[in-house]
Amino acid sequence: MEKKNLWQFGTREVVYAAIGAALYGVLSWVTNAFPLPSAGNVSFRPAVAVLVFFGVAFGPWVGLLAGLVGNTLGDALTGWGLYWNWSVGNGLMGLVPGLAAGMIASFVARKDLGVAIGFGLLGAAVGMLFASLTEMFVSGIDFATAFGGYFIPALVGNAVVVVILLPIIMIAYNSIAARVGRR
Amino acid sequence: MLVNWKYRPRNTIIQRLDPRARLAFMACMIIAITTLWDLRIVIPLFVIAMTLYLLARIEWQDVKRAWFFILTLVSIIVTINLFLGARGGPPSVRNDQSPYLFQLATFTVPGVGWTFNIGLTVNKLMFVISQFLRMMTMAIMGIPIPYTLDPSLYGATFKHMRLPDKVAYSIDLAFRLVPSYGRDFALTVDAQRARGYEVEHLKGGLFERIRRLAPLIVPVVVHAIIAGDEIIDAMELRAFGTHPRTWSRVLHFETRDYVLMVLGLVILAGSIVMGVAQIGADIWVPPFLYELVGA
Repeated sequence: MEKKNLWQFGTREVVYAAIGAALYGVLSWVTNAFPLPSAGNVSFRPAVAVLVFFGVAFGPWVGLLAGLVGNTLGDALTGWGLYWNWSVGNGLMGLVPGLAAGMIASFVARKDLGVAIGFGLLGAAVGMLFASLTEMFVSGIDFATAFGGYFIPALVGNAVVVVILLPIIMIAYNSIAARVGRR
Repeated sequence: MLVNWKYRPRNTIIQRLDPRARLAFMACMIIAITTLWDLRIVIPLFVIAMTLYLLARIEWQDVKRAWFFILTLVSIIVTINLFLGARGGPPSVRNDQSPYLFQLATFTVPGVGWTFNIGLTVNKLMFVISQFLRMMTMAIMGIPIPYTLDPSLYGATFKHMRLPDKVAYSIDLAFRLVPSYGRDFALTVDAQRARGYEVEHLKGGLFERIRRLAPLIVPVVVHAIIAGDEIIDAMELRAFGTHPRTWSRVLHFETRDYVLMVLGLVILAGSIVMGVAQIGADIWVPPFLYELVGA
């Protein structure tokens, strides 16, 4: 198998980053405008699984841009404004799973699915932790509020979505991976 | 279900400003206000942000949902933070010795001896007002962006802000792909409904309901990736990335843009100077509040 260069950013990555961002933006808009049933103050955004998938399948730059631009797009479509720290947090949520791109040999093997989910959860934790902790400086809230009010609800919601939907998207993608030159 | 940009041409001074000047000013304001707590400085910054917002002349009908969401979120966060002791703020709030405006209850946790006072002190009241206005100022700076910044300008804006061609083009392409994917998603929803899939009545527990969203998401994602391969081929056939790219939209600063950026820099420099001199970095309590509680 050809050795993958994780940090390559050629035409392929430019296009997949744009596709990932547009999909993340549109699917985020759908659940922003029509929220799913939630538990407590935990909301579920299925788009997060798509973001993590783009990182896992196409590398860290694609994941970073898809999250960064996609979150801005989602907020632009919903009309909520512009929140730089949450966009960067979403970018990190795409970048970290991208670090696993070189370890994924198959999109259906249990081991690889496990690696993808593991990095997806790590990405969700890192991204949401960044966004929540920066709220301490931006909004002047204390650690307990940032942790309990922002981080935990965001992490739980995103983690549930990653565990359930990411393997389904990866298995579906496996059937076209060869066609788009990924195998 | 139609994906619509919130942007509409409105012939306002805000829309005539260069997007780079607006983003630079917004960055200056956000950095400045994160360092300040004194209401005598926070209120003027809030007024500046509100003035720019009103100059954008965004229709209330368009923006009321965003306002409702932001006001709710800010109120919840400020209340949670207050309930947790209003920590995280400036020194006089972290080590609050000010008199109570009212006190509802005092209780001690058995065993550990922690004492909690549920009430509102003078310092905490000023902290909450200041925190609310700071958060609203930042939100008000951000709200008009989607309504007043042409989506076709984002790529060119970031290119003119010296971002690499590939990154700027990726941003540009993402904005252009949104309507197509919005339409694909709507088509997928309709197609699944025709097969008996009930979007509004997903059955099962929470996890099962999330899993059942896959028939809506997977076709859109897979179709987008396959179509993406054709975009890649088309771009490579046109030698994308081998030479610097030219952009059809070229941005030029006008006098009004320089004025806005200078104002932003003055606010930023002022906040830095005040931060160094320890002015405005703590809350301000109007003297009448102390008189009110008889302190």
